[in-house]
This record gives sequence, C-alpha cells and structure tokens, in this order.
Amino acid sequence: MSDLDRAIAQLRACRLIPESQVRELCYKARELLIEEGNVVCVDAPVTICGDIHGQFHDLMELFRVGGDVPDTNYLFMGDFVDRGFYSLESFLLLLCLKVRYPDRITLIRGNHESRQITTVYGFYDECIRKYGSANVWRYCCEVFDYLALGALVLGASSGLEPTGPALETTSSTMSLDDSELETEVLNSRGEVTMSSYRPKQPRTDSPLLPSLSQDKSATSSTTQNPASSMPPLRSGWAGTGATGDSSGSYATGTGAVLCVHGGLSPLIDSVDKIRLIDRKQEVPHEGAMCDLLWSDPDEIDGWGLSPRGAGFLFGGDIVKHFNYKNDLSLIARAHQLVMEGYKEMFDGGIVTVWSAPNYCYRCGNVASILELGEDASNGGTVARSNGEYGRSNGGAAGAAAVTRSPGRRYRVFEAAAQDTRGMPAKKPVADYFL
Amino acid sequence: MSASQIPNLNTLRRGGGRGRLRGRGGGDFGSEAPSRRGGSSTKDRVVQGTDNDASVSRLSAVNLGYLDDPFASALTPPGQETRRLPIINRGTYVRTTTIDHLLAQFLHPCPTPTHPPDSPQTPTSTPTPTPKAKQIISLGAGSDTRIFRLLASLPPHTHPHPHPEETIIYHELDFPSNTAAKIRAIRAAPHLQRAVGDPENVTVSPAADALHTPHYHLHPIDLRQLAAVASSPCPVAKENLQALLPGLDPSLPTVLISECCLIYLEPEEARRVVEFFVQVFDAPAVEGQAGAGGAGAAAETGAGAAALGIIVYEPIRPDDAFGRTMVANLATRGIQLQTLHRYASLAAQRARLRAHGFRDGQAAADVDFLWERWVAAAEKERVAGLEMLDEMEEWRLLARHYCVAWGWREGLAGGQPVFEGWRALEGQGED
Repeated sequence: MSDLDRAIAQLRACRLIPESQVRELCYKARELLIEEGNVVCVDAPVTICGDIHGQFHDLMELFRVGGDVPDTNYLFMGDFVDRGFYSLESFLLLLCLKVRYPDRITLIRGNHESRQITTVYGFYDECIRKYGSANVWRYCCEVFDYLALGALVLGASSGLEPTGPALETTSSTMSLDDSELETEVLNSRGEVTMSSYRPKQPRTDSPLLPSLSQDKSATSSTTQNPASSMPPLRSGWAGTGATGDSSGSYATGTGAVLCVHGGLSPLIDSVDKIRLIDRKQEVPHEGAMCDLLWSDPDEIDGWGLSPRGAGFLFGGDIVKHFNYKNDLSLIARAHQLVMEGYKEMFDGGIVTVWSAPNYCYRCGNVASILELGEDASNGGTVARSNGEYGRSNGGAAGAAAVTRSPGRRYRVFEAAAQDTRGMPAKKPVADYFL
Repeated sequence: MSASQIPNLNTLRRGGGRGRLRGRGGGDFGSEAPSRRGGSSTKDRVVQGTDNDASVSRLSAVNLGYLDDPFASALTPPGQETRRLPIINRGTYVRTTTIDHLLAQFLHPCPTPTHPPDSPQTPTSTPTPTPKAKQIISLGAGSDTRIFRLLASLPPHTHPHPHPEETIIYHELDFPSNTAAKIRAIRAAPHLQRAVGDPENVTVSPAADALHTPHYHLHPIDLRQLAAVASSPCPVAKENLQALLPGLDPSLPTVLISECCLIYLEPEEARRVVEFFVQVFDAPAVEGQAGAGGAGAAAETGAGAAALGIIVYEPIRPDDAFGRTMVANLATRGIQLQTLHRYASLAAQRARLRAHGFRDGQAAADVDFLWERWVAAAEKERVAGLEMLDEMEEWRLLARHYCVAWGWREGLAGGQPVFEGWRALEGQGED
C-alpha cells in the first residue's frame, strides 16, 4: 500500500494526515493542476457535484449514492471548504483522490477556495484548531490558486438508459417507441421518482413537443441572425450543430456542457475568453475570474447587480445566447442553495447542482448529483468541441440542427445519519437566534 | 457560567430601601414556586442559557460594526467572545434595530429617518412631546443592553434628577440567576454603573438579585408566577402587584417586550403572562375590580386603563424543512420552543395580539421583510459592506423564520394617543 493509498484510507475514516504529508500532497497536486487549462476537458460519463462545504459525512454519502472513485468519474464544482466542521478532511480526501486518479476526478474552483473567504467562513479557524498553525491553511490556499475555473464535458449522450422500475408514485411523461429518456430523478435508494422523455431525433423543420421546448426556445431567440453571429474560429463539433451553418451535422451526441462554480460574466462571451484568464492568483474582488465564481442566474433580462456583493445576476437571454454561441447544450453550476438539490432554469439551459444536504446542519434541504451518460453511438470516440483539438468526429448518423441537451440523471440524497461507522460524530450545532 | 443558584430562602427576606417582601414566599403560589423557580430543573437552566447565545451574538455584531453598543462587552460572559457568521450578525442587527425603532416610535412618536425610504411619512402626530413618563417591561431580559443604551441617551437633566413626567421607567424580568449575574456585571463595570445612575438612588436586594433605581428595575422572578396570578380568580390587587413587581406603575403608557422569551413557556402559561399585564393595565385605578373579561370588559369597566403595547420577537414557520430542522436541532440542546406551533405564522401572531385585546393595531413582519423594507438604502449598503454574504438563499431561509409582531391599545382616559408612531410602520401582509 502506497503512502497515498494509506492517506486515502485514513481520510476516508475522517482522520487527518500529518502536516508533512499535507505539504507533500499539496505540492503534488499543484504540479498536476498547473498542467490543466483554465477550462478542463472531461469526457462523459461523469458525475457532476456541487458545493460540499466541509460536510464530510455527507460527502461519504455522496460517494455511496454516486459510486466510489475510481469506478465513477467525478467533477466537483468547488466550495469544498468552509461552513461545515470537516473542511480539512473533505478537501484533503478529494485532493488525494485527484493525485491518485487524476483522470477520474476533476476539481474546479469555487468562491470559497479563497484566502479572504476562508478566514471569515471557518476553514482558516479549522486549520488552526486542528493543526495548531496556519501552515496547512497556507498549503491549501496555494492549491486553490491552481484549481481550474471551469470544465467542459464532452461526449454526453442525449438519452439515458432507463434505470429500471419506477416507484408507484413516479411522475413521468409517456414513453414512446421513438422517444428517449431525457431526464430521470432518483432518490438515495436508487428508486426513480421522476422521468421525462423526448422524441429521439427531432427534425429541424418540425416543432418539438411543447414539454420539450427547451431546444426550440433556445434557438428561437437567436435564430434571427444565426450565421453572422458565429465566430469563424470555431471548427465546431459535428452534431453539436446549434446553428444552421453546420449543414448536415450528425450524431446523437449533444453540445458540450460547461461546468463552472458560479456562472457567467459580462466580460466573457466565449469559452475561449475563459482560457485567456491568468488564474493563478487569489480570487479577485471583481473581473471575469471573480464573476465566474460568484454570479447567479436570475429571472431577469440581461445583467443585474448581485446582492452578494460580488459577481452579477444574469438572465435567460444571456444564457441562451452564450450557449448558442459556444455550442453548449447546458451550463452546470453550483453556488446556490436549492432545497430540492437541483434546479433547472431557462428551458433547461442552465442547472444548479447542490451537493450539501441539510446545509450548515440547519437548512433542511436535500442534495443532488448530476450524472451525464456516455454517448456510445459513435463507438466511444469522443468528439472535441471548441476547437480544442481542431477536429470533428467525422460524422455519424442523424441530423440535429439544434443543440440537444444531454440526458440528465439526478440522484437526490439526504444528509448522512448521525452514527457513521466509527467516524467522529457529526456536530449538529447550528446557530439560531435565541 | 455564572448561573449560581440563589437559595430560595432569599425570597422570604426583606430587601433594603425600596425593596420589600416580593410576595414569592406568600400567596397561593408560594408553595409551588420553590421547586419551579429555583431554576433547578434542567429545562429551566437550558432556557437561561439561551441568553448566552444572544449576548455572544450581540457582541459579535458590535465588534464587527453592525451595531453601536458600548455595553455589549461588559454584559457578555468573559471568554465567550466569538465571531458569528455573517448571516447571524445580520439577523442580530435586524432584530435589535427593529425593536429599537419600535421603542423609539413609542418614546418619541415622530417619524425618524429609519423609515422605509420609499414610503415617505408625513408626521401624523403634533410635535409637542407627550408629557407623561413611559414604561417598558422586558420579559426574560437576560443580559440585554437596551436599558443602558436608553439611559445613556436620556437628556442629562432628566437623568440624575429625574422629572418623572419626561422620562422612562424600565423593568427587566428574569430568573434570579440571570438577574444576579446582571447585577454582578453592573457592579464590575464602571460605565454600566454610571448608566444606572447615582449610587444613592440604587437599591440592591440582600440576595443581590434585585435592583431598583428611579428608572430601572431588575426583578428576579419566574414568569410562570405571573401566569399563576393571572389564572387565579382574584384580580391583581395593588399590594400584590407591588410585592410581585415593585416600582411597576399601572397608570403609565407601557410597552411589553418578549424577545425570544414567551416561546419557551407552555402555550397556556405564555398566554397568561401576557394576560397578567393586560389585566394590570386594564384597571390601574380600580382596585379589586374584575378585569379578566378581556378587551371588551375593559372598555366598559376600566375607565382609567393605560395605553399598552407589546413587541414579540420569536421564531415562526416550524412546518417546512428549515423549521423542522430547527426544532430538531434545538431539541438536541434541550431547547423546546413550546408556543412555536400555536403562533406558527404572521397571521397567527397578529391573531394572538388581537385576542389579547391589543385592539388598536396588530402587525407582524419576518426578519427578511424587515431587512428589505425597514432598513434604509444607505444603511443597508453600509451593513452589507461589513461582511460579504456568501449565500443569499440561506439568509432568506433563516430570516423568514423569525418575526417581530407588535400590537397596541390606546388608553381609555382620553388624551393624546401614544401609539400613533406604530400605526405608520409597515407590517407584512402575508401569512
């Protein structure tokens, strides 16, 4: 058993590793992360996770529900630390897994992965309390500076393989022969609680079913002038098509999924612009990098001021335009507590995934993770978009002139029980006004 | 903590100066009182301990600049100082400033700049000052600093040599262990002593758990004793009242405050505690007359009834996911919010005040609403700038589970209305 495997075993039991080992781990992680671009490309299948916030026992529950590493590929969208009582154990475990299985786990930065925020919201104090000095906090903050700002999930399939028998109470749209499973919601026991279907291969000239209007409306707002708004630099990914310009695009694949902690920025109109940011620094108070980690979608038109004091609010029109322009079928983000664990907005153009159940041991919410399946229709060849490798998949079957959203499986889960196998007990000491 | 229990023998002792037999040792509730009042039950100690939460939260908000309160530090147990999370600080800020504002509107009823900026107020009351002294009764006051802030803000000429016509009389009621701790804190801090006033006017009971000055009365009493009086068939006789709460003047316009206090009592006891004061102020001049008939009866019989208002601050909405979690989390600390389900909504809070006879107005608003609507834009910007709030949803969730309710009835002796200032304040329409 290597030192790393030993550290993983120890952290899984919610026991900390020595400071010297943390230092070494952080050094290795930095070497790994420095090689990653600001926007990491990740192949489906992958399970996308939102905020963790030091709720270690619930992170273990997440792995139980979603499958263990390295059997399941994970993409964590930041906010590993602060608020919960086990930020160190949670973050160090994820970092160990990253170093041990670099291709199986992706970590991107959240607004709490910052020196300033961690001094207010608990991680700094936790480091002092558990290690007796700020050294470990400093090592971790140096890692934070190297975390990617976003990820692109490529090659997700548009339809899901049905999980199996649904609950009696499951609400679902009709399953037709020529339809595919678009979304499915499962509870922590693996029972399907909701599913929805859509036609398999929508033709561009025929209207989609009303209930599946996301693709249609996503284009309708931007089709006025599709070709002229297309940047020529994009070689595109056949099948992500999004537009009329890639006539004869094929495949049952979908557009790429952009994962980012907060959301969009008025300073960023393309994924490539994210790639130009100099990210290796503390999260600034303003600017593109700040916005990506702090912004929130909202039911407004255009941009609005954020009540958080950093980042912006952005409306459905902004999302539709951004997705269209960048061949994206979906933006997955975290950052906002949603009581139901996930929340799709703007006709499915963006989804909030929240993975901290009973947030702060107080909010009473459930959590979720989002699974995107692998598109097996082209023999497992993963197509690249955004010109990353300057190639397309050379065409398979099927015409899709609109960007199809990927099939989405949400696994909803609740907070871990109190008595978790020999681990230090959870401490449900939440502040109230008394 | 400082909660050393005061031997029950002390209730039989005679206090010096203004002190007198406080009646706890006598009367029909005397036999029952010792076992309950001594704070001996674990539950009572837990409730007394909640005061610690409040004072630590207050000091955190003060240290970070949310509130200006020079007395917060001296009234927080040493070594407890800790920095609360930003949402807790903001909630403490809203809770404190809301009650301050309600009291300011009661004491000096003319619109102040802290009104909602988008609903400009035209002064409805004449600028002539209300000539009478006013009274405030704070239930379960614990380590609250409000009295010291009020005393410090009194014009100097009214302070050392009070003109009763122009001043306030403030009563704090709490468990003896809490009042004794407060008296120890006052004795230990010169600036608290100065605020309390000339030592010649200060009387402390031999057990050091009761304090009386012309402006300020600290009563060591278990509120359940008042509930017992309210439920007895005999009305509150004047002598009894002076024994129970020396210095209380039932003829003065008065506001009753329950800042997270009544909610710890059994619903029926909580109701009777308020009923006790309603009765006392219903018939200040008519000794021995039944005043238990509620508002209607009071209107007919209590010709001299004094104006009475109430401010209640407490949690609401226990039946959603956050509320259920709150109830469960507090239960693990041994804290039971006993009236929470009875007064579970803003509408229920308003109905509660109506049922108590606060007939001239009842309103309620949750802390989220109060932050949005009562805090002026510039002040909101200042407060929001103190600390970055990382999670708005969580703030709204938390803030929607606490409310302030206020209700009032004017006096029946005629004269100027006392609560005109409250009439102009914006409540929340929803349930």
